[in-house]
Amino acid sequence: MSRGTSQVRRSFEADVLVVGGGLAGCTAAIKARQTGASVILVDKGFAGKSGQTPFAGSYCVFNPEWGDDLDAWMEQVSSIGESVNDRVWTELCFRESYERYLELLSWGVRFGADGDARAGVEPQRDGPPVGPCKAAMMETRAPSMTLRRQVLKHGATIVDRTMIVELLTSGGQVVGAAGIPADAEDAVDIFTAKAVVLAAGAGGFRPGRWPIDNLTSDADCMAYRVGAEITGKEFADPHHARLDQAASVMFGRYGRDPEGGGPPRGRFLDSDGHPLPPMGVLDLDLDRAVHAGHGPLFIEMPDGVRWPMVGGAAGGMSVHKAEGIRPAGTDCSCNVAGLYAAGDSLGTMQSGATYAAIGQSVLGCSVTGAHAGAGAAAYAARAGGPAHPAGADVERAAEAITAPLRRSGGFGPRWVTQMLQNTVLPYYVLHIKHGDRLRAALANVEFFRDHLVPKLYATDQHELRLVHETRNMVLNAEMRLRASLFRTETRGCHYREDFPVRDDGQWLAWVILRRAGDGMELFKRPVSAEHRPLTAGGVQ
Amino acid sequence: MTIEKIDLDLCTGCGICIDSCPMDVIRMDRAGQKAVIRYPQECMNCEQCALDCPEEAVTVTPYKTVPLISSWG
Repeated sequence: MSRGTSQVRRSFEADVLVVGGGLAGCTAAIKARQTGASVILVDKGFAGKSGQTPFAGSYCVFNPEWGDDLDAWMEQVSSIGESVNDRVWTELCFRESYERYLELLSWGVRFGADGDARAGVEPQRDGPPVGPCKAAMMETRAPSMTLRRQVLKHGATIVDRTMIVELLTSGGQVVGAAGIPADAEDAVDIFTAKAVVLAAGAGGFRPGRWPIDNLTSDADCMAYRVGAEITGKEFADPHHARLDQAASVMFGRYGRDPEGGGPPRGRFLDSDGHPLPPMGVLDLDLDRAVHAGHGPLFIEMPDGVRWPMVGGAAGGMSVHKAEGIRPAGTDCSCNVAGLYAAGDSLGTMQSGATYAAIGQSVLGCSVTGAHAGAGAAAYAARAGGPAHPAGADVERAAEAITAPLRRSGGFGPRWVTQMLQNTVLPYYVLHIKHGDRLRAALANVEFFRDHLVPKLYATDQHELRLVHETRNMVLNAEMRLRASLFRTETRGCHYREDFPVRDDGQWLAWVILRRAGDGMELFKRPVSAEHRPLTAGGVQ
Repeated sequence: MTIEKIDLDLCTGCGICIDSCPMDVIRMDRAGQKAVIRYPQECMNCEQCALDCPEEAVTVTPYKTVPLISSWG
């Protein structure tokens, strides 16, 4: 550890830096180590227990020997995901799911209600009755420490409690990252690496109803700032939650049916006691019922108990694997050299415009973690000697990152976060969308971006983290609003009141966001011709 | 609301709850002997601290209140 002008400064160096220690990040670290690369895994919290991994409960696993039909599974995803799933990634994940499943078993992750599934034996699998896809039930929470032990066993170094804030570049390629440790005041950590894997999850607006308040789109935002393409911001995740239990993940602790595993069961009722469609396009039908004046809503469990519900439990987050850094290939690279991503930080569009099959998200973390770790290690091996960031660039980054600590006044991050929540969390902004309301919210968010964010101050290192998280949430909001305005149709979890029809003629395409100077440019990337549905070509 | 209490009679200062908290709510006290609730505003009710504490010293309730809206802050 060395001391800068006024700062505590730690410096680290490795072939591969992995940011984020959930399932994707841990897998990436292990896979990179298995190639012989030196690896540092850094986490804002505690690696292993990071992100949404402690709450994961289902793992989609495909195996022809169990009678699974690939064509039927692919059709389920394309049909429910409304044909904007990336079929390359959907198929890749299915095909590699069994191998990853066996590997997780070998690491000590347990599956099945009784947690004793044996390798090669079909575990208890389940799924909603919408198609053939099935998932093995995972033991919740326990995999966290299992994964951490495997990362350490494979020889990677773990740095806990450091939030990575910015990527460092040299000659247009990513050569490291800078972050802030929680446990030292006015401190900055500098990481030099030949390749960086971002596996820091997706993010929301601290919705408080889903345990994702720690996820603030840090990966998307820092990648965006160095020029990476970002996708999928228009496909909002409209999950609901119980009104009486914050962060209850819908139905009690960690989302499990209290009667022994499997997805939660129950039916939704409106304020008059009339049943609502079961799930529909995820939960958008609930928002529609409320919009029509039929709130409040309830969930009635099989035993007749009714719980009041609230919407927007995951406010600010997209459907898993929809949003994130747009991959340039199956090695999980992107359009910025040296930068890789995995898990919810990577917008593979594995599922498309909504959740198409239970357990796809955890599967995607496992598969992209493996690909990103191997891809980043291969890049590092080709790179030769480390390309260190210029000393002046490091100093500039450190100064900018810690500047809020030296601001004597301005705006507190908790207050700005609250103003952002008030602007973008209501259902009528990012769930039931309309151009007028999106533009109104965007005008406010632009004010936050231009006037409030530059004046955020922090009184200690904890608040410094809040400052950077708030800054990222404001950028995430701008991305979501612009992407939602850009896609002038309705598809999956993107519902426009003013464009209520799916338009395959115009929108069998992904929306890409990219930084252009100080502005944000948007463009379409069409779904490849061979992956278009047979019914494509006009308005459906 | 959210994290309510760490029972100092039960807390052994092992620090597991600090690692379990994704939101940096819990810190060690100045003497490094006991875990203390330092930033309760950030608690998101994930309950990992309570579930991981080997002494069952942490109390978390499933309710969260939000601060009143003010015109600046």
